[in-house]
Amino acid sequence: MKHIMVIDDSPTIRTSVEFALNGLGYAMDQAENGSDALEKVKSIKGKGEDVALCIVDINMPVMDGITFIGEFRKVDRFTPVLVLTTESEEGKIKAGKEAGASGWIVKPFKNQDMMDIVQKLVK
Amino acid sequence: MIRSDNNRFGKPLYILYPGDHHAAADNSLIATVVGSCVAVCLYDYRKMIGGVGHFIVPGSIGTEGIIADEVAAQGITSMEHLIGEIVKLGGDRKSFRATLYGAGEFSGDHGLDNVAGSNIQFLHEYFKLEKIQVAREDLGGNYRRKIFFCPRTGSSFRKILMNNRDHSEFMRLESEYINGVFGNNERFGKVLLFD
Ligand SMILES: [Mg+2]
Repeated sequence: MKHIMVIDDSPTIRTSVEFALNGLGYAMDQAENGSDALEKVKSIKGKGEDVALCIVDINMPVMDGITFIGEFRKVDRFTPVLVLTTESEEGKIKAGKEAGASGWIVKPFKNQDMMDIVQKLVK
Repeated sequence: MIRSDNNRFGKPLYILYPGDHHAAADNSLIATVVGSCVAVCLYDYRKMIGGVGHFIVPGSIGTEGIIADEVAAQGITSMEHLIGEIVKLGGDRKSFRATLYGAGEFSGDHGLDNVAGSNIQFLHEYFKLEKIQVAREDLGGNYRRKIFFCPRTGSSFRKILMNNRDHSEFMRLESEYINGVFGNNERFGKVLLFD
């Protein structure tokens, strides 16, 4: 089973991302901050299953998205990480890219755009 | 948004224009005027950080609710901007309390039916999904409201403006903002792929 991990402090956003990607046939997992996500990724991998993609917000309590990407890259160099955020400032995008993000979507997203970019990234 | 330091309150006053949001943890005041738009006041009662967002959901929401709806997505994003600022100051939506104002109904408004109703529906569904407690709501009616909010204490004060000529300059700006978002309700963010 391949998983997509949606990491956002907003339950509304997590549910709408899940809704947008429903037809792709992945197991959808949710985490409410970066550190919650690191634990959940670990437990998925511990069961011998694969995380195909992480979709991560930037502004979250406990552990923000940029910190998450840095920590995640220490244990996983290749799984794509897509940022989904309201932040659109050049400096933030650069920091995300340098931390190891694979793409950046500024909220709100169009469901079709989300599908397209996810399919490109998991290929 | 403008900041004024010379005012009768003796503390910094941030005046939000239509479409603005602002969050703070200091002893300041945030003020705005809403007609058809909504003013959402959020307060993190553990961290004593608060903020206000002024926005409108531009149109009606489909029967499937706000999750699958591209008009509602604009409102969700307005809320994300406000909450993001509070989170950057150390807040967490798990200890938020909300106070909701606005969504007034004015005849002949923007040629669209029941904008107030869909904004109220949006707020109700959104705060339920987010599990954020709504401490007080003062929505609807055919009057404009002037709102004051103290981000350090979370207390808010509302004054009803019965005379529709009150703050007419502000109402002109709100009207411009509303026409802007209604004219462009397919506003989606940019998509970037890094190589
Ligand atoms: Mg967030």
